[in-house]
Amino acid sequence: MKKGTGWLQIGICLLTCLFVTCTQKPEQRVITVLNPVGSPSPTPLIPMAPRLDMLEGKTIYIVDVMYPLTHQLFEEIQKVFSEKYPKTKWVVKSKAGTYFDDDPKLWEELKANAQGMIIGVGH
Amino acid sequence: MAPIVTGRFQDVAEATAASKGMPRERFTYIHHPVSNKPAAECRKYIEGNDPLTGKPVIEEIVAALTKPLSEEEKKTGFVEKPRERLLKPDTAQNLERQFLENGWTDGLLIALPTEQRVSEMLKATSHKPDEIVGRMMPSPAQGPWKYTVEMVAANAVMAGAKPKHFPVILALAATGQGSLPSSTSSMARMMVINGPIRNELKTNMGIGALGPFDEANAVLGRTWTFITKNLGGGGKAGTTYLGTFGNNYNYNNLCFAEKEEALPSGWKPFHVQKGFKQGESVVSVFNGWTLLNYSAYNPDPYHELMRRQMVALEMSGAGAHHTPGVNIQTAGMLIIDPVTAKALKEEESFETKEKLSRWLTENVHFTMWNYWNAMPDYLKKAKEGVQPYASLLKRAPESDSPLQLFSPKAGVEIVVVGGETNPYWYAGDFRYLASASIDQWK
Repeated sequence: MKKGTGWLQIGICLLTCLFVTCTQKPEQRVITVLNPVGSPSPTPLIPMAPRLDMLEGKTIYIVDVMYPLTHQLFEEIQKVFSEKYPKTKWVVKSKAGTYFDDDPKLWEELKANAQGMIIGVGH
Repeated sequence: MAPIVTGRFQDVAEATAASKGMPRERFTYIHHPVSNKPAAECRKYIEGNDPLTGKPVIEEIVAALTKPLSEEEKKTGFVEKPRERLLKPDTAQNLERQFLENGWTDGLLIALPTEQRVSEMLKATSHKPDEIVGRMMPSPAQGPWKYTVEMVAANAVMAGAKPKHFPVILALAATGQGSLPSSTSSMARMMVINGPIRNELKTNMGIGALGPFDEANAVLGRTWTFITKNLGGGGKAGTTYLGTFGNNYNYNNLCFAEKEEALPSGWKPFHVQKGFKQGESVVSVFNGWTLLNYSAYNPDPYHELMRRQMVALEMSGAGAHHTPGVNIQTAGMLIIDPVTAKALKEEESFETKEKLSRWLTENVHFTMWNYWNAMPDYLKKAKEGVQPYASLLKRAPESDSPLQLFSPKAGVEIVVVGGETNPYWYAGDFRYLASASIDQWK
């Protein structure tokens, strides 16, 4: 390609770009904006606890997190599961404090005495 | 573990588990609501089907306890969402639609955060664009999001803020407090500005201070919503926002400045009460639900009217139904016109805000019906003749109980603002959360 032809092509390209820009309606112009959204901190995945091979002979705690006026649900879970799985010990426990509060003592008790947990937040 | 949740809260349960690193938690859902339902109905729920999957609840619970883990459920490592600094270039119209449809706005028109506008905003602070300003949790149960000066600037632009407003916005973001708490009880938040910056920004603290009349109050309050939604991960209806009604205060987040110049002598500006110097500029944030209006045209002393009015807050969302007098959310607030403040000092001997706050904290009590309702154990003891509960049974249901409504720790906060037109005030259930220096963000 001759040197003069190259410059001609570049000139035509520039003119075309200028023409397109000048004749484009404002609403068709493409703009760049910042992403307004942040991101959560990286979350470590927690592997789930191993499951039980069977329910028979096990102790399962049924823990009420203490949302107001829902304790009857947990009492009923205990009754229904005791009837259906009589060889399993089903124990109802109320977490200390309100549903906002942690209860480390209960978690320790659970680790020592239970092989599984049903935990519920009625609402 | 086999977690049980009522079906209405599927989204929030799964989002919370994922944010805690357990995206495959085995939830079983039951019918909603359970609260106050008789035992027989609860039994039906348990013996019936999961309303979302249609499978028997009992089978799902047993499977959650005994079905062997899949490889996915055993996974370790990190979940990280990559973030691009810029959005894909597009027309303004398409970008505005994108912002609206993605829930990044409050439903109203925004200013797009172009690089030029954000760059202008950044000139109003000495802090670097990539400096971390703070961390905010989408909801109390979820992990925090963190955000930089530049990210905050983009959201400030969107809300229509000018560079002069930016230090206030950065201080607000630095509190780490969002404006859209996730409670089902439709909370509101409030931001109060103190110090010299009130006058520099022409922040409204006179007539209509809590209304839509002035730029500073409007854009500062609005930016808080955007920061909460976009940088804190909050305000997503159904997952990180659960307010049944929503709260109209959320539109502007009750943004105003205290009228320090009109405080009676001896009444300290709010930020000074919190340990800042008088000459510092400070933003303070509060959480609550309700403001009750009052104008004193009768001869009763104002403080007595305030006491009677504030008893009504036992019925608000102040957490009274959980643990009255103990719950940290049980707090009171007065927003007082300067006319009222002057009278309280000169005619009713409240020489300081603290004295009025203390008097109200000591004298606003739960009524007896709520006392018994909230504490059935005490009622049981009373009926068994156990003192001092038994003697309380003689009191009328609407009379004062021995229990204070506001915990001494939270007390009653007082801010003076208004157009000095009449002896007005608002009484509310707003609790002080935090303050941050604005000067540090200049």
